Amino acid sequence: MKETLVDGGSEASESRVHRPPDAPVPSPENQAALRRKRLVGLTRPWLLLAPALIVLAGLLLWPLIQVGKLSMEDYEVKFGGGVGTFTGLDHYTDLLSSSLLWKTVLPNTLFFAVACVGLTVALGTAVALLLQRLGPVWRLICSISILSAWAMPAVTGTYVWIWLFQPQDGMFSQLAGALGMIDPATTNWFTERIPFYAIATLNVVHHGFPFVAITVFAGLLTIPKELYEAGMLDGANAWQRFWKITVPTIKPVFLVVTILSTIWDFKVFTQIFLMPGGSGSNPDVYNLGVYSYIQAFAKNDYGTGAASAVLLTLLLLAITVVYIRTLFKQGEEDL
Amino acid sequence: MTTPDITAPAARAKDRGRGTRGRIGIGIAVAALLVFTLFPVYWMVSTALDPKAVTRGSDLLPSGLSLQHFSTVFDKGNFGTYLLNSVIVGFGTILAAAVLSLFAAIAVARFKFRFRTSVLIMVLIVQMVPLEALVIPLFLQMRDYELLNSLLGLTVVYIALSLPFAIWTLRGFVQTVPKEVEEAAYIDGASWPRMFWSVLLPLVAPGLVATSIFAFITAWNEFVFAYTFMKGSDKYTAAVGIYQFFGENSTSWGPVMASSTLITVPVMIFFIVVHRRLGSGLAAGAVKG
Repeated sequence: MKETLVDGGSEASESRVHRPPDAPVPSPENQAALRRKRLVGLTRPWLLLAPALIVLAGLLLWPLIQVGKLSMEDYEVKFGGGVGTFTGLDHYTDLLSSSLLWKTVLPNTLFFAVACVGLTVALGTAVALLLQRLGPVWRLICSISILSAWAMPAVTGTYVWIWLFQPQDGMFSQLAGALGMIDPATTNWFTERIPFYAIATLNVVHHGFPFVAITVFAGLLTIPKELYEAGMLDGANAWQRFWKITVPTIKPVFLVVTILSTIWDFKVFTQIFLMPGGSGSNPDVYNLGVYSYIQAFAKNDYGTGAASAVLLTLLLLAITVVYIRTLFKQGEEDL
Repeated sequence: MTTPDITAPAARAKDRGRGTRGRIGIGIAVAALLVFTLFPVYWMVSTALDPKAVTRGSDLLPSGLSLQHFSTVFDKGNFGTYLLNSVIVGFGTILAAAVLSLFAAIAVARFKFRFRTSVLIMVLIVQMVPLEALVIPLFLQMRDYELLNSLLGLTVVYIALSLPFAIWTLRGFVQTVPKEVEEAAYIDGASWPRMFWSVLLPLVAPGLVATSIFAFITAWNEFVFAYTFMKGSDKYTAAVGIYQFFGENSTSWGPVMASSTLITVPVMIFFIVVHRRLGSGLAAGAVKG
């Protein structure tokens, strides 16, 4: 991109400054046509981009600025529009000094994300390696089953997992009761933090590993077979071949799926919110997104809600920067 | 000299042993994968068809097959309206997102201009923004414009949400169309709009279909905005409509699973239809950036 810019610039200045006197002078019509062509070349991409950029600016960028502004205000709902009073960084100091944030909200968000990312990437990679070893028929069958897990909407997937773990009537409660592990009449897996998040993790991993599996599988197909043959000749076992050949060769793919999973798992909302107690009645299971939503919409404290939303956004922005740098390292010419 | 003769069969036997063991291992892994991926789907559908859904416990087979939960969902739950709302919002999103993202994708894939990279990176960044950060200001804004509880307001939001991914995916599809094809059209005297209509559009059509399906699924599955914006029950989308089957103390799992099935099945069909393109497109996007 830089080159073309430089080229275009030098060409333009050359034609203006040193035109040899004996060179044929372009006719005025020709010049006008040339100028028009250049103008079209300059404006057409922006004309094409404008509608999309306007929508993105109005509905994603502008609200982000608004949420930043809101986080420094006490917002009161009045008839015919709200009124905000500027409070500076009060919401942030309140938020950052609250024990709920440090003892519950952040640990929940962080440990949940780490567990989900780790399990998603590990399971996805294992499934990709499995797909590679299968024949075409079983590969197709497995791909379709993976797709069906991927296609399951977050809302309905969450309901199915709730139903499976429902106290008393759920399948797993009955099974565990029959095995004598719990008393299904008194055990509620959704009230305690750890089992609650264990079920949420299962849900998120089930929904998230197909993307990793399919992307890593596509990456595996690009690795030349000769590398593995050489590895086998040198006596490397499957485990060594994976760590010494597969991982270094498609490291960029692993980086991308890990970072994307991290971004997605930090902002999980629906899967937590829909679970019993997740929509506000059980503060023990708040994560950052749910906390922000409940502050704003259940407690009408838009300022605190906005401040925690900004916190979450900044966290994700930091991860996104890492992601974009990774993408750039892979192939700058491609962008 | 005789050593190889002795060890070779032994090694081969060991190899064979490992081969069988490996095959059994793969078999177990495939079975585990199929159970893990498909069991929730099976449990959803079979509960939806089970007339005694709540008391089925851990019985793998439903106690009978009936469509009574589906009729409950439509007759008492008003689910037909919710599905219709979801379809309207979904198609509105598709129409706008397809046009906007196609133009934008052509701009970034075909033209070299200043700030092109910046535009692409910005599109990538806004995709990462958490919905919780957007829902608060957009709720307040939509309330001021009296667009809450309106399908139009929701559609507009979904268009914005599906655009970044659509632009990135379509950009890949536009790039795969060789430039020479376009140049040939110009040589034949076609103007840019003519070239776009008769050459580029038919060639990226498959990509456009895949992208549109994705935009539709985004709108169809979305929960946070629909839940926050839609307060009148006749305006619920399907994803929010399920919520009403949850009682204070007991949940009627039959209707919940029946409506879940109605929401999930179209998405699964779409996914399986586009999966080839989806796989290659996503992989290309992830591998090449």
